[in-house]
Amino acid sequence: MSITNLLQNWSDFRQQHPSDERPHQEYKWAMSIDLDLCTGCNACSVACYAENNLPAVGKEKFSHGHSHHWLRIERYWHNEDREYADQGAQFLPMMCQQCEAAPCETVCPVGATNHTADGLNSQVYNRCVGSRYCNANCPYKARYFNWYDYPTTADVWPAPMEQQLNPDVTVRGKGVMEKCTFCVQRLTVAKSNARTEGRSVHDGEVQTACQQACPTGAISFGNLIDPESRVAKQWEKQQVKLNHDKQAKDAVHDGDKLRGYRILENLRTYPSVMYLEQLREGAI
Amino acid sequence: MIENSFNRRDFLKVLGWGGATVALSGCGNTSVEDGREYVTSYVETADYIIPSIGTYFNSTCAQCDAGCGIMGRVREGRVLKLEGNPDSPINSGKMCGLGQAGVQAHYNPDRVREPLLRNGDKGEAITWEKALQLVSEKVASANPGSVAFLTGGVSGHVKVLLKNYLDAIGSDQHYVYEAVAPSVVRAANKKAYGVEMPRLRLDRAKVVVSFGADFLGTWVSPVHFSRQYAKFRKGVNGERGVLVQVESKMTITGANADRWLAIRPGTEGILALGLVNALSAAGLTVPAEVAAAVKDYTLDRVSNDTGVSVEHIGKLTALLKDRSPSLVIAGGAAEGYAHGSQNAAAVALLNQVLGNVGKTVEAPASMPFPQMAPITGNRSSLQALNDSIAQDGVKVLFNCGANPIYSAPASMNMKESLKKVPFKVAFAHYMDETAMEADLVLPLNSSMEGWGTVVPEYFAEGAQLNIQQPLMEKLHPGTLGMGDVLLALLKQRRPAEYSGYEDYYAYLKNAMVAIKGALGGENEDDDVFWDSVLSQGVVKLTSSSNALVSSASAAGLQLPPPAVEDGTYPLRLIPAVTPNMRDGRHANEPWLQESPDPLTTIVWDSWVEMHPKTAAKLGVVEGDIVEVASKNGAIKGQVYVYSGIHPDVISVPLGYGHEAMGRYSKGVGANAFKILDPVFDQQTGELAMYETRVKVTKAGKRVIVVKDEGPAGGNQSGRRIALRMASGKVNLAEEV
Repeated sequence: MSITNLLQNWSDFRQQHPSDERPHQEYKWAMSIDLDLCTGCNACSVACYAENNLPAVGKEKFSHGHSHHWLRIERYWHNEDREYADQGAQFLPMMCQQCEAAPCETVCPVGATNHTADGLNSQVYNRCVGSRYCNANCPYKARYFNWYDYPTTADVWPAPMEQQLNPDVTVRGKGVMEKCTFCVQRLTVAKSNARTEGRSVHDGEVQTACQQACPTGAISFGNLIDPESRVAKQWEKQQVKLNHDKQAKDAVHDGDKLRGYRILENLRTYPSVMYLEQLREGAI
Repeated sequence: MIENSFNRRDFLKVLGWGGATVALSGCGNTSVEDGREYVTSYVETADYIIPSIGTYFNSTCAQCDAGCGIMGRVREGRVLKLEGNPDSPINSGKMCGLGQAGVQAHYNPDRVREPLLRNGDKGEAITWEKALQLVSEKVASANPGSVAFLTGGVSGHVKVLLKNYLDAIGSDQHYVYEAVAPSVVRAANKKAYGVEMPRLRLDRAKVVVSFGADFLGTWVSPVHFSRQYAKFRKGVNGERGVLVQVESKMTITGANADRWLAIRPGTEGILALGLVNALSAAGLTVPAEVAAAVKDYTLDRVSNDTGVSVEHIGKLTALLKDRSPSLVIAGGAAEGYAHGSQNAAAVALLNQVLGNVGKTVEAPASMPFPQMAPITGNRSSLQALNDSIAQDGVKVLFNCGANPIYSAPASMNMKESLKKVPFKVAFAHYMDETAMEADLVLPLNSSMEGWGTVVPEYFAEGAQLNIQQPLMEKLHPGTLGMGDVLLALLKQRRPAEYSGYEDYYAYLKNAMVAIKGALGGENEDDDVFWDSVLSQGVVKLTSSSNALVSSASAAGLQLPPPAVEDGTYPLRLIPAVTPNMRDGRHANEPWLQESPDPLTTIVWDSWVEMHPKTAAKLGVVEGDIVEVASKNGAIKGQVYVYSGIHPDVISVPLGYGHEAMGRYSKGVGANAFKILDPVFDQQTGELAMYETRVKVTKAGKRVIVVKDEGPAGGNQSGRRIALRMASGKVNLAEEV
């Protein structure tokens, strides 16, 4: 590929993600998170630790920014300069947004992170050389690097704690980047089962660990291609389009009725996670 | 879920796990009981086990007393993950972080693995045979009335066996101690409604006003209330429910409120009565007796006393009047004072005046088998034990599920008090502070290894009985279930009655089959019934419920004026119950230590929370180490400054600062239980948790607070990340 070719056909290369001309075939996994229902309880985050063999790194490593919470709850305040945070906090579950045009993918020198046919941003552990370019280029700070070999680090999985590890998920070694996979091990099983039975995965058949735990049901997950899936209906209702970087919501000012949005959409990352705005009552 | 019935013993055999390889004993080859094992190829596994495919077994979460139904994912003989049981009315398939960390309690490297007998400062490993022999000797040589049990909340068949054992030896000393329990609210509810804990229907309320009840995080049955909260927010016909939280220190529930009202500590009851008065003035029908009793609670006075603005009281009054039914809840922040009962009664009165009783406050289902109903207790029960010890009334003390040396206020001097008991037996999971003082430590099975039945403290729908069953073979051969120990002790006392049961499993099965008619298995074969019970994990019982008292009465309500400031100890300490740590019994589970506190995002440590005004007055900033001193002791901690707390109070989370227990909890943070002042609720005698007065002084050092939030501290710096809009703009009924 010559540089001339690259520059001349830039939009083609830029549009690696499926577009109107080149749609997803069978599956496009997507999520929607209702911030009005998220209470910030952290159940999703702990479920992720349990499902995906995440190490609890301890205070010192946490202070160095080495935590491994693929799904973290960000907590924001909207109280400006008021005396009290009297309209509460806002919690936001943040994980890999499985961008369609993922900034992390273009910078990986070894192609360890790339796009799957069903719209996931995958991380191939045994290809990763630990350059951490992807981490630097992720606007969501959703990637976590193994600075240590956690399986052999004291008190991470001391016997018999290692017996809890999920055999369906690789335990990562030192020097490897990792991140939320949308519980790809569960998706693989569901797809395989469906294929065996000669059908496609139907809505609700597969849940991510965070979605399954969430006590208020704030997270929904499913196949965006399937018009009957809850997640597709939610995206449709909120008029959020996967391959657009400006949505109907952005066109309307005050008085709009839509609360679906994607984070940092203006960066043209085309995330697969739609958030629904938190609501606050005006009468009190 | 397993639909087919199968032989329970075969199941246990297949779950044999040894070292790095899976030691499977196929049917007929051997038995786990006689200790012989053969390594058999997976080709010969039982029908229901497919290598690499997870099998789910239903059981009950034992991390708190809410009694959520769980499904354990079991693969190759190991339990890997806990998920919610969709058929359980309490949690409908959902789970909290605390519950999920149950697997870390089970696999914890710091578990006690064999019976330990005190020899000087050390514990010497002995056999169970010898241990039980010793127990029976000590019990036999003691005066029957001087054998006592101290437990946490207990229910189900273990409670029955415990009662029978105490009867058998002729003692009536059973003390129940839970360090954090809504006991004052229970007592106030009993007076106001006729029941200790009515069934709260958040899902039917249009407005919920919570006086410090952290129902989304820590209060009574958080996962159940979170399910209801979701329905409440979605609303009827798209009319989104409005949540107002009144408290002095923000809880996770407060963080989700449409309006969080910072109230001067202890004045919750005044605000409740002020609202009754304002509602009466706004035209709500209020009984004359009540109207007369609250007429002095004028808007200005209430605003002045509570620190809540006239504007907000006015808006709240209008909201409550216009949107009915509403629901008012009294929680930890209302009950934590010397007049806690009065605060809770005032809140109940507001509910009754609003006509919520029968609509959003319903009668709970009653347990048809009262002998299995949960027994609860709090500090006053522990005090009774202390008094009994002081009068030389306890010679043998069994302790199970309570850790008073850690969680009782220093003024009770539990450590010294327990020294006076000649023989102390601790049933322990970890070597916690109380187990460290025991003469004999008996290691218990984890909740994933043992059999049991659990009756939840709060029924979501009708009455129910939960099953606890092993999700895998025991990790450590030297542990035993509480039921098995009690059965062994009962066999010594009442052989005629109990020697027929080989183990607790046999007893449990027999006891359940004996009442199968009442459990919905009238026409079923015993084994079919038993298998279906195990497969479901939850038995729904037919139960009745009595009507609640709905008539409002202000008789006996006497609220003190707001407390005056103490010159030496100018601040009030709120010991915060956090969703991760609760009362500290799960502090040794690393997921919970590493899971950031929802509000401060701090991990692996405790902290001293204060308002920016307070911090400015004290001249401290985030990360300063300060000393928090009460009349009863002092602790140190790092300062965290934010505006979710009243300037008159500071807050330190409970559950940290263990001196024993294990590698993940020992020495992490400071123990706020220790400095609580001995002030008690005047009506119930329970500890008034929020009455401690403290002074805060800078202790010199400054540290970097280890927390998850970035340097911007919850400010989005103009970026559109977490968005919020007015609820009036959206019609939720139109949404998917």
